[in-house]
Amino acid sequence: MFSSDILLQLGWTGLATSSFYMLFATAFALVLKVNQVWNFGQAGLMVIGYFSCYIFLQILDFFPLWAIVFSIFVTVLAGCCLEKYGFGVLRERKSPPLTFFIFSIVIAQFFVFFAELIFGTTPKTLYPSLNSKINIFYGIVITNWDLFALISSIIIMSVLYFIMKKTKLGYSMTAVSDNPELAEMYGIKKEHIYLYSISISSFLLFWGMYLFGTKAAIFPSTPLLQLLVFAVIATIIAGIGNVFGAAMAAVFLSLLQAFSILLIPSKWQILIAYGLIFFIILFFPKGFVLNLSLFKTKKNMGS
Amino acid sequence: MEYFISLFILASINIILATSFNLILGYGGLLSVAQPIFFALGAYCSALIAIYFEIPIFLSIILASLVAGIFAFGVSLPSLRVSGDYLVVSTLGFQLGTLHIINNIEITGAAGGLSNIPPLISHPYRSLLTLFIVVCFAVLSIWMVRKIMRSAYGRAITALRNDETAFSSLGRNPIRIKVLIVALSAAMAGFAGGMYSHYYLYITPEQFGIFATATLLTMVVIGGAGTVLGPAFGAIIITTLPEIITFLNLPVSIMAPLQGVIFTGLVLIFIFLKPSGLIGSTRGLDGLEIWKK
Repeated sequence: MFSSDILLQLGWTGLATSSFYMLFATAFALVLKVNQVWNFGQAGLMVIGYFSCYIFLQILDFFPLWAIVFSIFVTVLAGCCLEKYGFGVLRERKSPPLTFFIFSIVIAQFFVFFAELIFGTTPKTLYPSLNSKINIFYGIVITNWDLFALISSIIIMSVLYFIMKKTKLGYSMTAVSDNPELAEMYGIKKEHIYLYSISISSFLLFWGMYLFGTKAAIFPSTPLLQLLVFAVIATIIAGIGNVFGAAMAAVFLSLLQAFSILLIPSKWQILIAYGLIFFIILFFPKGFVLNLSLFKTKKNMGS
Repeated sequence: MEYFISLFILASINIILATSFNLILGYGGLLSVAQPIFFALGAYCSALIAIYFEIPIFLSIILASLVAGIFAFGVSLPSLRVSGDYLVVSTLGFQLGTLHIINNIEITGAAGGLSNIPPLISHPYRSLLTLFIVVCFAVLSIWMVRKIMRSAYGRAITALRNDETAFSSLGRNPIRIKVLIVALSAAMAGFAGGMYSHYYLYITPEQFGIFATATLLTMVVIGGAGTVLGPAFGAIIITTLPEIITFLNLPVSIMAPLQGVIFTGLVLIFIFLKPSGLIGSTRGLDGLEIWKK
């Protein structure tokens, strides 16, 4: 019924789209693991990242490389401020988790409204044209954007994997996420680690928004209403604390959304993501990816 | 005069809504971001029941509030079985998903909104009579929450909020209490939604989005979460504040985000500088501080 060309094309499109979803999910999962905060304020950082780049590129007419460098700086700075003057203060005050939730949701809304106030509610693009050169490879349309997005995301994820698994910073982040007080006894300054983790997360968010913004126009509310939910679902699917599992889950979600077009009209596709929230919470509350790894461990123990 | 009556009606409806939200946020120590969507469910269901089944309006409002309560039960049960944290996630998904559905189906009028909703009262003094009824229900909702919180059940809710582990060790079922609070609160919000739709006679999906969540949070947090009168006080302030901005004659495209910035800014200020809210006590035992063990 469906030709292999169509299936391959959908698979490729889903994979290319997963490049930014992967970054958003990893950013969310990393802060949840290390800083132990459900950072819905991530949507605010995404807005800051995107619109600072828009200002540098479209209004101040900077050379793209400089615009990207300055925007990364602005986003990381905003992330550090969010941690130090937001979550840090609440942590110091021993505020209950509910206050963190309220703060992180409200700060995201604040930046969305602020961006709407300054830039209006119409969609904005980072470059005047979003066209990308098309290449045909065995009947599959592959744009230069697809290649750039996928390769850059894979490089970033590889570097992050290296940092997490092979460097002192990565070990420190794992230690703080396991037991912040114990980590401090071993000389790790947890406040510094929180800042490092949110800085990395902010960088991932900026790059994800840059990729998204070079493919489609963005409303100020897009990060909060559309992109954040994907990151949250991917994190839950992977299981809390499983940063790279969240990236894998984001790829799965993106492919699922791409292939769902065969069965569901495009306007209802987004409902798959919302429906998955309940499915995962009902059947895999500890995460699907994590459950698989636990299953493997149990099997090994059994044998 | 009509303008002020309309404003007071909106304030009274917001009092019911804020009081209902306070029940879960302030007393239950749970965060649901979908309260505006339960308000929307009440508004849409009541309007549609009244339009298509031609039953008495008040009965349609009651039925709509039941629908909102049932939906809240269905949404909260799976997530609360896991943890309170998941309630935020599931209600966020429910809010966005339901809004997407309302925005895309014909029966609700899609993005254009639902009109031709029959009024609650057809009388030359319709507004004045509606005001009287809505004020009565606003007072009733405050009284009801006060009554619940002073009863044995209310003490159980407080005990649960303060220490769930200790509560469970006494053989009580925390999930049952939490789900009931969420469902009751949603039913109250649905009731407020029904009143809203049958007074304003026109509803659109954009009235129930993230802006509504921000507005509701502002009412409860600045008034004082976990206090009986705080959210009502917050509702009055937040309903009248935008009217002052209206006198600036700014374009609509600026007005909505400006209000959003002010409301969310106020919540942020109160979180850090006065977490007990305006009505909360100075000992720091009310408002956001109430959740501290």
